[in-house]
Amino acid sequence: MVEKKRVLIVEDAAYMREMLEEMLLQEGDRYEVVGFATNGEEAVAKYRELKPDIVTMDLVMEVMDGIQAIKEIKKYDPAARILAITALGTPEYRDKALEAGADEYLWKPFTIKNLLDVLEKLFKRDD
Amino acid sequence: MVKGEWLNYKFVILVLLVLACLMLSLYFAYYRGETGVYTHVFYIPLILAGVWYKRKAVYLAILLGVTHVFTALLFIHPIPAELPVETLERTGMFVAVAYIIGLVSDKRAKVEEEIIKERDKSQKILSTISETIFIIDRDLRVLELSKPELKAGIESEEGIPGIYRRIPMSRIIKREEIIGEKCYKGFWGKEKVCDDCPIHSIFETGAGARRVRSFVLADGSVMHLDVEYVPIFDEEGNVVRVIGDMRDITEEKRMEDRLKRAEEQLRETKDYLDNIIESSADAIAVVDMNGIVRDWNRSAEVIMGYSAEEVIGTSNRKFFVKPEEADRIMEIVLRDGELKNYRVIVQRKDGKAVHISMSAALLKDRNGVPIGTVRVSRDITKEVELEEKIKEERDNLNLILNSMPDGVYIVSKDYKVEFMNKILIDEFGNQVGNICYKAFHNREEPCPLCKNERVMNGETVRWEWHSRRMRRTYDLIETPLRNIDGSISKLTIFRDITERKRMEDELRETCKKLEELDKMKSDFLNVAYHEMRSPLAPIVGYASLLERCELPERGRKYIYNIEKCGRQLEKMINRMLELARIDGKKIELKLSEFTVREAVKEVVKSLEPEARAKKQTIHTIIPEIVIQADKQKVVAIFSNLVSNAIKYTPEGGRIDIMAEDEGANIRVCVADTGIGIPEEHLPKIFERFYMVDTSLTRKSGSLGLGLSIVKEYVKLHGGRVWATSEVGKGSQFFFKMPKRQKEV
Repeated sequence: MVEKKRVLIVEDAAYMREMLEEMLLQEGDRYEVVGFATNGEEAVAKYRELKPDIVTMDLVMEVMDGIQAIKEIKKYDPAARILAITALGTPEYRDKALEAGADEYLWKPFTIKNLLDVLEKLFKRDD
Repeated sequence: MVKGEWLNYKFVILVLLVLACLMLSLYFAYYRGETGVYTHVFYIPLILAGVWYKRKAVYLAILLGVTHVFTALLFIHPIPAELPVETLERTGMFVAVAYIIGLVSDKRAKVEEEIIKERDKSQKILSTISETIFIIDRDLRVLELSKPELKAGIESEEGIPGIYRRIPMSRIIKREEIIGEKCYKGFWGKEKVCDDCPIHSIFETGAGARRVRSFVLADGSVMHLDVEYVPIFDEEGNVVRVIGDMRDITEEKRMEDRLKRAEEQLRETKDYLDNIIESSADAIAVVDMNGIVRDWNRSAEVIMGYSAEEVIGTSNRKFFVKPEEADRIMEIVLRDGELKNYRVIVQRKDGKAVHISMSAALLKDRNGVPIGTVRVSRDITKEVELEEKIKEERDNLNLILNSMPDGVYIVSKDYKVEFMNKILIDEFGNQVGNICYKAFHNREEPCPLCKNERVMNGETVRWEWHSRRMRRTYDLIETPLRNIDGSISKLTIFRDITERKRMEDELRETCKKLEELDKMKSDFLNVAYHEMRSPLAPIVGYASLLERCELPERGRKYIYNIEKCGRQLEKMINRMLELARIDGKKIELKLSEFTVREAVKEVVKSLEPEARAKKQTIHTIIPEIVIQADKQKVVAIFSNLVSNAIKYTPEGGRIDIMAEDEGANIRVCVADTGIGIPEEHLPKIFERFYMVDTSLTRKSGSLGLGLSIVKEYVKLHGGRVWATSEVGKGSQFFFKMPKRQKEV
């Protein structure tokens, strides 16, 4: 029995948080959502507390944006695995996110397949 | 009779004879008392006196007669009656006889005197003429020589003309010695007759002859004698003597030789000069005082096209385009004695006008009388044409400078104005020669901003000068100008840019505002994009989740449509944003090397399902071409073109993608068998938001942005895009772009 991957979902929109959780649970015992955060600050705090295997990070949020949060988390744990997810369309933002320390990038809108594929890719890289 | 010579023997004899006669007369009268026949004795002195003293004998006769009368009358006593008559008669007789004898001898003396005079004269003439005359007889004996002595030598034995044996032997021939001598010995000092002696033949034929004899004299010089032999005939026509007329022609000969040599030299000099004249590159012509051509060299033939034969002897007027020039040239040469670099236009034989530069000199004869002119001409047509061109260009330049709205001036190193163009002269008056800072700026010293020093050091300075006083701004370009003498002046071109400056400021202000607006726009677009896509995320995401739920077939279809439309909406939003981005800022190309084939493959792979759905086939003919470009954008170009083709081609149609290597460029064509584009729309289809069909019945699903993105991307790569089409048959979209981008 393989250990479930522990996921921290960072999203300011409630329906998006729900949708992401739904999508991850579709894979049955592969993923386990360990917590949610609605802004960057919260995300950093939750990361320290929960130590998830992966963080899905929205970029546009109140209080502290996603880029800043990625930086903080990476500062705390350089081995942190972060997937940036955003509706911002320009490549500059993707570059910014990757620069800040995000491991992958997913554009909104995405299907369940898109999400799972990119996650698989991330963990495969590790294994 | 000469005075002082009267006491000569004739006089003494006469006195003695007269005394004897008187004694006789006294004796007879005193002792015999008679006058007797003794008086005949008186005739002796009288005849002698008559012969000797001519008519003066009459005085002696009177003296004798009177003495006789007186002695008779004094000493005879008594005096016979007939005595006085008798004595007087005798006295008369004495006088008469003396007179007659005196008269006769006087006549004779006169004749004699004439003869002597004549002889003297002839003698004088003979001795004064240089010729020496001699006479020889048949035996070659010299009978006479007209000169008392004669300088001569010995004839050269080896008498080859011109070469003489140098044995100096001069001698003097004396008249008295030579007479009676054989001529060959006397004259020529030879022992035998001369080989070419003409005398015998003269005696035989009576024809004269001539010989030249040469001697070497003691001083080594050669003496030449020209001897002419002339026969003298007697009454019967036989030759009796030969007269030789000997003339010293040494001097003549020498002169002749010298003349010959001089002539030779002259001929050589002339040949030399002729050569020079003939070979001279300049045309040389000799024209006499009447304007008639007398000489004409080769170059003259070449330049004028007339041969010497044609021209010599004809007037020179025909050569000049203005014939009066011929008179003018003659006038100047006569006035100044020469003509220098006179420019005149002449006409060639073929009618072509030729510019020449003529120099001429006056030719004079020995007495200084002008006899003509020698003229040296050079073809300067090319120079004149060049000069005209230069002048024309200079005029043009001046015209340009003067019609320029910019101020142009030149100042020297020491601030002296050397040139001003018209616009400056109109404003400041002509200040050429004045000091620039005084003339233009009313200063006593060079302006603080003056760039003279920098420009003199070879720098070109461009600067803006704002005059606070005039509230105007000028753009100045100041550059060094090298003069012909090597010195440097400053050329300044300036333009009043006050208006431009004002406009620039305005423009800058506007730009700033625009930039702000642009920032606002791009910020807004980013936000708008985010906000539009954000709601799409759950639509698409939940739809994909729903697909996994157990649903009736209908439900599944609904979900599929929701997802599809969501994707379509996303695509449109993406395009709008892309265009907005292109619009706002310049986009940087992310260059990489890849093959056209792989880019096309990627596109075909993603679009194939769409084509298959419409039963269309996609064919590609892509050779192996490596290009350096922004791959993402190249993919987008193909993707837009191919999806357009799919969209506008009916079911079962065909789409062709072809690429061609053109060396530096690639040329790509995407052709379809679709509905086509009406010709009037073709030029506009690449414009933003342009749609061929905007009616409500149009085929939906397009904002008309795809082709404008294609155009922008191709343009970004330095290429261009175009299309051809036939309505109902299909369209061909082409683009062409460089295979490599220029390094920035």
